[in-house]
Amino acid sequence: MMRNSVCLTVIGALLLGIVTTPAAVSGTPPISPSDDAAIKLATQVCSSCHGPGGNSVSPTFPRLAGQQEAYLVAQIQAFKDGKRNEQEAHDYMLGMTTLIDSATAEALARYFARQPVPKGISGNPAQVAAGKKIYEQGIPDQVVACSTCHGAHAEGNGIFPRLADQHAEYIVRQLSVIQRNLRNSPVMHGIIKNLKPEDMKDVATYLQSL
Amino acid sequence: MGVRSGHRRWRFACFGVLAWFSLINVSHAIPAFARQTGQACVACHVSFPELTPYGRMFKLSGYTIGTRQKLPLALMAQFGVTGVRNNRDDQGQKIVPKTDKPVLSAASVFAGGKINDNIGGWIQWTYNNLAGNGDVGHSGIDNTDLRIVGRSDNTDNTDMRWLYGITVNNNPTVQDVWNSTPAFGFPFTTPPNGIGAAAATMLDGQLGQQVAGVGGYVYWKRSIYFELSGYQTADGFFAPLRAGQDIQTPGGVHRLSGVDPYWRLAYNHEWGANSLMVGTYGAILRLYPDNTMPFTPTDRFTDIAIDAQFQHISQLHTYSFQFTRIHESQDYRASYPATLAGVPIGVGPTPANSHDKLITEKLKGTFYFNRQYGASLAVARTYGTADAGLYAPGSVGGSANGKPDTQGYILELDYLPVENLRLMLQYYGYTKFNGSRLNYDGAGRPASENNTVFANLWLVY
Repeated sequence: MMRNSVCLTVIGALLLGIVTTPAAVSGTPPISPSDDAAIKLATQVCSSCHGPGGNSVSPTFPRLAGQQEAYLVAQIQAFKDGKRNEQEAHDYMLGMTTLIDSATAEALARYFARQPVPKGISGNPAQVAAGKKIYEQGIPDQVVACSTCHGAHAEGNGIFPRLADQHAEYIVRQLSVIQRNLRNSPVMHGIIKNLKPEDMKDVATYLQSL
Repeated sequence: MGVRSGHRRWRFACFGVLAWFSLINVSHAIPAFARQTGQACVACHVSFPELTPYGRMFKLSGYTIGTRQKLPLALMAQFGVTGVRNNRDDQGQKIVPKTDKPVLSAASVFAGGKINDNIGGWIQWTYNNLAGNGDVGHSGIDNTDLRIVGRSDNTDNTDMRWLYGITVNNNPTVQDVWNSTPAFGFPFTTPPNGIGAAAATMLDGQLGQQVAGVGGYVYWKRSIYFELSGYQTADGFFAPLRAGQDIQTPGGVHRLSGVDPYWRLAYNHEWGANSLMVGTYGAILRLYPDNTMPFTPTDRFTDIAIDAQFQHISQLHTYSFQFTRIHESQDYRASYPATLAGVPIGVGPTPANSHDKLITEKLKGTFYFNRQYGASLAVARTYGTADAGLYAPGSVGGSANGKPDTQGYILELDYLPVENLRLMLQYYGYTKFNGSRLNYDGAGRPASENNTVFANLWLVY
C-alpha cells in the first residue's frame, strides 16, 4: 500500500513537472484565458482577412501586425459603438466585433501589437518623395505634419496608429472616409479636411514603402 | 419501329424538359450565416453564391465562425418571367408551360449554421412551383452540406497550418469552395421553364439530391486543397438526402452501384486584391442503366475535370473568371451488349457504341461595380461522340445527326438595390443545339429558336 502511494506520488510529480516545465523554463508569464481566446480568434478567424499574424495581402483589409495596442482596442470599441460608418466597417467588422468582450479585445490588441512588422512595399520615387515631405513637414496653412502624432518613423503612439508599411489603398480609403465624416475621428477630420486626393495618394505611397 | 421511334422522340422531349426543370438551381446565399457572423453578404460573396477568399474559409471551417443562432433559418424565393423565342414545336404544340408571364418558380427554406466550434452545415428544402411537366408544385430536399472540422496552428501562432474536415453532402461539387465547379457554377440560377439540351456530363449536375457523399478534406496553408469522397445512392441511412425524389419511376433518377470515388486537388494563391486557383476534380461512377433495377450489370462513367478561377475583389471594382473542362468517358459495358442483343435493360440507355465521350467546357467572366451593378458573360459547350442510339431524332428534344453537341452563350445583367435582393436579366443564345445549328432535331427546328430570355427577382432573407 505504502509502495503504491510512493509510486503514485512520483508519477504525479513527474506529470506535474511535464505540465509545468515549459513555463518554468521559458520564464514567460502564464497565458490568460483571454489570450488563449485571442490567439484562437486571430489564427482561425481574423487571419482569413487580415492575414497570418496580421500581415494581410488584400488592401481592403489593414495590416495589423505591430499596430499600437491602445489604437486597436479603441478601434474595436469604435466598431462596436457604430462610430465607424464606412461600408467596409458595416460589411465586415461591426458584427464580428460585437462577439468580442473587452478582455478578448485587449488580448487581441496585445497579440497583434507583438507580431513582427512586415516589410514595406516600394512605390513610385516621385510619389514617395512628395509623400515624405507632407508626412514630415505638412502642407503650409493646410495640414500639419503627420509625424507630429504618428511618430518620426510612422510607428504610431498609443491611440495614434502605426502607419508604416500599411497598404496605400487602405490609407487613402481611410483618409477619404474620415474626410467625409463616415469614420468618426474629429481631430483627424479637422487636420485633413482640405487634403487633396493626389496628396493622399502621395503620403500613402510613402507610408506603404516604410 | 415507328412506334418505338415515336416513344423515343417523346421520351427525349420529356427528358429535355425535365432536365431543364432539374436545373432550377436555387439556393446558395444563406442569410442565416450573415446573422451568425453579423457580417454583410459581400463578406463571403462576390455576388451570391460566388465566394470570396473569406467565404471559402468560412465554408471550409464548417460554417462555424460566429455565434450559434437560436433560430438558424433563412428563406429564399424567385419570381420570374421566361420567354422562349419559339415555344411551339413542329406540330404547333406548346413546348414548355407558363412562359411570358410572371410566375413564382421556387421557394426555399434553409436551416444552416454552427452547432459548435467544430460542427456546422446547412440543409435546403425547396418548393418547386413548376415541377412535373411544369404545372404542379412539388417540394423536396435541395443542396445539403454538413461538416465536422478541425484545425492546427503554426508553431508561431500566426495562422492555421492545417484546416481539415469531413463533409456529408448530396451533390458532387456542392462541397467545393471554388465556383468553377458545377454545383455552384454559373449560371447561378436558370429559367424554370426553358428548353434543355439532351446531354450533360454526370458531374455537371446530373446526380444532385440523388446521391450521398462522405468525404475528408485538408487545406494546407491556404494553398493546397485535397479531398477524397465516396458517393453512393442515397438509400437507407442517407435516404433523407434525396427526400422528394422520384425514385420509383424508371428513369426518374440515376442510381449508383456501391461507393464510387470522387477526388479534388487545388492550388490556391492570394496576392493583393487577387486570388487564383488551378485544380482538378473527377469521379468514377458505376451506374445502373435502369434505376429501378439495381441488380443488373452497370455502366461506368469516368469524369476527369480541370478548372481555374481568378478573382480581383475591391470595394469599387470586382471581377472574376472561372473555367472548367469535364471530360467524360462513357463505358456502356452493360447497356451496349444488352442493346446489341435486342434486350435493353429497362428504360436504360440504348447506345450504338460501346464507348462514348462527352465533354463539357465553360468559361465565364463577371464584373461588378460597387458590389451592386453586375454583368456576366459565359460561353459554354458540350460535345462528344455521335451516337444515334442515345441521341435520336425527335421534335425539339432530339438530334438529327446523333450528336450531343450544344453550344452557346449566356449574358446576365444584375442589380442589387439592397444586399439580399437581386434583379437579374439573362439571355441564353444557342449557336448549336443537340448536334447542329439548323434543323437540329430533324423536324426543321434551328438552335436559335431555343434562345431564351429570363427576367428574375431573387430574394433571400
